[in-house]
Amino acid sequence: MKSIETKAIVIGGGATGCGTLRDLTLRGIEAALVEQNDISSGTTGRNHGLLHSGARYAVKDLESARECIAENKILKKIARHCIEDTGGLFVTLPDDDPEYHNRLIEHCKYAGIECEELKLEEAFRIEPHLNPYILSALRVPDGTIDPFRLCSANILDSMERGGKVFTHTRVDAIIAEGGTAKGVRCIDEVSSEPFEIRGEIIINASGVWGQRVLSTAGINLTMLPSKGSMVIIDYRINNVVVNRCRVPSDGDIIVPGDTVSIIGTTSRTIDYSDIEKLTVDDDEIDVLISDGEKLIPNVAKARVLRAYCGVRPLVAVSGNVDGREISRGIVLIDHESRDGIKGLITIAGGKLMTYRLMAQWTTDLAVKKLGLSKKCSTFHTPLPGSEQKVKKPQIRQFTGMPNSIIGSTLYRHGNRVSSILSRQNRNFSLVCECEMVTVGEVEYALKKLNVKNIIDLRRRTRIGMGPCQGELCSYRAAGLFNELGAASPIEASQLLIDFLEERWKGIKPILWGDALREMEFTYWIYQGLFGLGDIAERSEDE
Amino acid sequence: MNYDCLIIGGGLAALTCGIKCAGSGLRTGIISGGMSALHFSSGSIDLYGYEDDRTIVYQPFEKIEKIISQNPLHPYARCGMAIIQEAMRFFKNEASCGGLELYHNEESNHFHVSTLGTIKPTYFSQRSVFNEDIKEAFRQRPKIALLSFAGFRDFFPKLAAANLQKSSLFRHLEIITGEVILPMYSKTARNPHEFRSIDIARIFDSERYITNIAEQIKKASQGAVFAGMPAFIGITNYNKIYRRLRELTGIFVYEIPTLPPSILGMRIDDALKRRFAELGGEFIAGDRIVGGEIIDGSLDHVHTENHGTTRLRARSYVLATGSFFSGGLTSGFNILRESVFNLKLFCQQERNTWYSPRFLSTGGHPFLAFGVETDDNLHPFTQDGKTVENLFCAGAVLGHYRPIVEGCGGGVAVSTGYAAAKKIIDACRTSSQ
Amino acid sequence: MIKLENISFDYCIKCTVCTIYCPVARATHLFPGPKQSGPDTERLRIKNPELVDESLKYCSNCKRCEIACPSNVKIADLIQDAKWRYLKKKFRFRDYFMSHTDLVGSIATKVSALINFFMSLSIVRFFMEMFLRIPMRRVFPKYNSRTFQSWFRGIKKSQSSFSKKAVYFHGCYVNYNNSSLGKDMVRVLNAMGIGIEVPDEKCCGVPLIANGYLKKARKNAAFNISSLQTILSDDTTIISTSSSCSFALKYEYAHLLGMDNTKIFNRVEYITKYLYNRFQEGMAPKMKPVNLRAAYHAPCHLERMGGVIYTIDLLKKIPGLDLVILHSECCGIAGTYGFKKEYYDISQKIGQELFRSIERAEAEIVITDCETCKMQIEMNTPYEVIHPVSLLAKALDQ
Repeated sequence: MKSIETKAIVIGGGATGCGTLRDLTLRGIEAALVEQNDISSGTTGRNHGLLHSGARYAVKDLESARECIAENKILKKIARHCIEDTGGLFVTLPDDDPEYHNRLIEHCKYAGIECEELKLEEAFRIEPHLNPYILSALRVPDGTIDPFRLCSANILDSMERGGKVFTHTRVDAIIAEGGTAKGVRCIDEVSSEPFEIRGEIIINASGVWGQRVLSTAGINLTMLPSKGSMVIIDYRINNVVVNRCRVPSDGDIIVPGDTVSIIGTTSRTIDYSDIEKLTVDDDEIDVLISDGEKLIPNVAKARVLRAYCGVRPLVAVSGNVDGREISRGIVLIDHESRDGIKGLITIAGGKLMTYRLMAQWTTDLAVKKLGLSKKCSTFHTPLPGSEQKVKKPQIRQFTGMPNSIIGSTLYRHGNRVSSILSRQNRNFSLVCECEMVTVGEVEYALKKLNVKNIIDLRRRTRIGMGPCQGELCSYRAAGLFNELGAASPIEASQLLIDFLEERWKGIKPILWGDALREMEFTYWIYQGLFGLGDIAERSEDE
Repeated sequence: MNYDCLIIGGGLAALTCGIKCAGSGLRTGIISGGMSALHFSSGSIDLYGYEDDRTIVYQPFEKIEKIISQNPLHPYARCGMAIIQEAMRFFKNEASCGGLELYHNEESNHFHVSTLGTIKPTYFSQRSVFNEDIKEAFRQRPKIALLSFAGFRDFFPKLAAANLQKSSLFRHLEIITGEVILPMYSKTARNPHEFRSIDIARIFDSERYITNIAEQIKKASQGAVFAGMPAFIGITNYNKIYRRLRELTGIFVYEIPTLPPSILGMRIDDALKRRFAELGGEFIAGDRIVGGEIIDGSLDHVHTENHGTTRLRARSYVLATGSFFSGGLTSGFNILRESVFNLKLFCQQERNTWYSPRFLSTGGHPFLAFGVETDDNLHPFTQDGKTVENLFCAGAVLGHYRPIVEGCGGGVAVSTGYAAAKKIIDACRTSSQ
Repeated sequence: MIKLENISFDYCIKCTVCTIYCPVARATHLFPGPKQSGPDTERLRIKNPELVDESLKYCSNCKRCEIACPSNVKIADLIQDAKWRYLKKKFRFRDYFMSHTDLVGSIATKVSALINFFMSLSIVRFFMEMFLRIPMRRVFPKYNSRTFQSWFRGIKKSQSSFSKKAVYFHGCYVNYNNSSLGKDMVRVLNAMGIGIEVPDEKCCGVPLIANGYLKKARKNAAFNISSLQTILSDDTTIISTSSSCSFALKYEYAHLLGMDNTKIFNRVEYITKYLYNRFQEGMAPKMKPVNLRAAYHAPCHLERMGGVIYTIDLLKKIPGLDLVILHSECCGIAGTYGFKKEYYDISQKIGQELFRSIERAEAEIVITDCETCKMQIEMNTPYEVIHPVSLLAKALDQ
């Protein structure tokens, strides 16, 4: 069996894992990351992408709120291209308790969050399509954050500093010898090949999946999975984050993220055994849309693009099991003191917002255990792509090229845009016409960003995330995988099937209206015209 | 405006119906809200292609005979065998009058190759896809080349070749892939958005670059008998260009329908519209029916978006508005309805029963079989269960069949369009006598 | 930011049919086509207005994309709106001159002989091309020596004898360049027993919209709406002999300028539809055979309005007219579009298909409803182009 040596091993490619890998490599520690699926494919990639100001937590959980606003300010500096500083509103609707408004102002003050009472006309100037019957509005420094970009940038930086990344690689077991964790046994899910990675310190950052991972080392840590569902609206129906000014509950936030808006979120406790087969329920969609409509009435008229859900990684700290009630505080466990196993750390809980802080604490502990003394610098070292502020899509190098393409690429990759789009015509050829993904960007992603299939490619580029959900681009992408040497023709056909099936998962629950028309058209093309189902059947037979 | 026959919708069913009516001397109007699904079709007409277990149907008429006896609600059963056969003859003839020759393998299905290299059974195809010579040449176990245009992003010959090689018909054949360079490439290359199939087809609607491309095809095919390429041989001047290419290369240039727009499908649209206009039919494009009044079980008049308060009247009407995609059927959060007259539908109301768990499920998706309920004369029912005597339904707006799963979309459109026309002509004759 | 008036981009299912039928995308690769310029990038522009593409300016607003769209997306409206909302505007004297037809026309008619003479000098045209970027080869319409309005004032009294009336929105072209069409119009309606009333009117705004003078266009629209609203009783039809003027009054006012034109919406009719309805009522005038073979070209905007069937129906009723209906193609001029140097070649290339089919029709004369189509066809073919109403006037048996 192949064996790889390194110093630190990170299990889990969510934001925390990616951030930890970066922190380690930034401190010059040799490190490897193992992720069972793709980076940011679990909980990290399945939230509403809110760059919290902390205001949502201010009334209930002051500590979380303080962490949020501190990290908010840091991320705006180090992860510019993953963030949009839109600002956010808290609006009170006629059926809401007006008292919450005052409490929120007060608690924001305690937490150090700027919270400004707006005149209604000012609120409507900022967000013209708000429910006209709102009673009051507050402005907070909320923003949006793209978790895929954030993780991808962390990974890119780590890899450029020598970090190793194994995606689509499942950790079979933690190798514990004589009370010390020595490494992990893995299986490459693409080739089904087993191998092991050995290191001096193992960091479990696998979130809700940590319960299973730790059990292989005989450690018991109970996770209380709670499902949160969201729906995506075809286009940006709001300019800024719109929160409902009440005790956090279902369907009380609309986040504008890149080209779409996301209505969040529900909260349902689920069984641990269900974490791999999550589905969005019809009644959740009902709630999200009807409550979203109360914030911005236009929701009723817009096309719903998808619905999706994620699992909150809550660690059992008390007997209470409702997802929203459990502390989202950060849990850092040194298994040496908890379970007597040396060289193993678990980092859990927390939120996307605090990923960097969590990574810092974890790495601090890891560094201490390794007997080193290297200081964290992630709070001021910008991520690749965010080094400089690029103001406008009009970069001189691209004069005369379409702003829509340059600008979209700039959104996704920040300063790296110049290494993606050279003036070659081929590079500008569009693969995804909804989100303006070019051949150049696909090539860059395939070569630099750990892309193994079209689903991964989507997380790096937004391919297939627009209104047509892959109708035109998925065939082109499959063709390019083959053309660029990333897949054989038969493999490429399978990647195409997998991608369309993955898209279908999020479309099924919202299949009506134009989304249904779109899917009839897509089915017409891929089954009626291309006979893709025949290939799918054949590959199942084989 | 007053018509003998007003057809709502402008696709395959509508045009077939319109040509038959106009050809019989009726004043016929077609009112079409946007271009039809023909623009995305394979350009072959499928009659019946698959059994429920996905095995291929070789004898479509035999299969249809069975369908008619087993499923009286299937649109084919509403038409009857004689009408279906008559419709096919009629269609072939009229397409030919419109400038497009269609070929079929006597009573049997033949195959055409898709962009992904799968093979699909069908009944009518265009000259570049099927004819007696192609059939004969294929018997000789020919070498096959799959070629694309350099830079063209809607056809990847390697994917097609690999999948084609896996099919039993092609397993033992030599298949190579290659590329040709568009003679216009140097000029078009400046455009960062690149070309679609239509841009290439337009280049070859004239004979200007034909010798150049013929030479390249010959060279890239390396002695192959067939050169499969993304459909590119023009739209209006197709017959001539195809003949010239055949002369110049000595190879069968085989056309494969690509991502939208589909050149092969557009040719059918073009030929049928041409024929309809030639017969004096009036095609009103870009307008939508917003409502109509049904008085005593008969549709009195309709209103359109553009004509405002001016009514359009006809003695008979045909509803050929297509399925969800074309807007004939509308779906909402938990609602399904027929878009123009709110006619009675064959459907299931609960949304979670509309789809299958997998996108590429063998049985397709239940919603694809939803559509208008009709009686044996293709008359629909209003919500209170009454038939509308002078309104006929044709094509994908009809329920009780699965166009893609059964591989019968084209055949049903042509047959029901034709059947409706026959009934309208009969009705006009009786009433004028 | 979203503009709720046109969220139809949300209906787009990316079928690309609009791009197939876009005459501009067909003629030049500089324009990526309506799908990309309209619904695709509208989502991006909502996200960030800086993502607007310069290539939008190539759209000629012929509206053929909207006719082709199976999803009812108002594509051309989206593009027009984005053009003026997001692209940087540059002042060009030429655009001002071309769009302010009222101002220019009222001056030009006063010195029409001089202007017409100057415009025929190639040296003048040479400098116009050099400094104004107005292509030398483009033929300009001649100016009348007397406006239609002033002619009408002279005959106004005679109209009071008719009990049935119609309001005639004549537009700039009839007023300044082709008053004979207006005169024909009066003759035809008078022959049918209908009197004419001419309102106070300003340019309908089509050239202003096309050149980005939206403020001025709104001002004109407001003027026209209030003037037309008050003239005669509520049920009098407002007719226009220009397909583009009627399109503007009916649709562009509401869709592009965001004006409330509901009060006049149902009253405004393009002339052939009005005549069709009157003919249905048995008011057709007595006609004599014209004995002509004519080819009919349907203008894009009339097609978008669904008015073509009425013109064809009318033409079919003219005795002795051997009518060839040309395959529907854009002539390429698209109002002021073809008068600009940067679009001149595109405009000419778009028209080729139509010019060829006119040649093939072997007609003696070409008929069309639109004034700029007329200019384009007369410049590019040897045929005289006539308005359906003028042809009807010829057929009057008086």
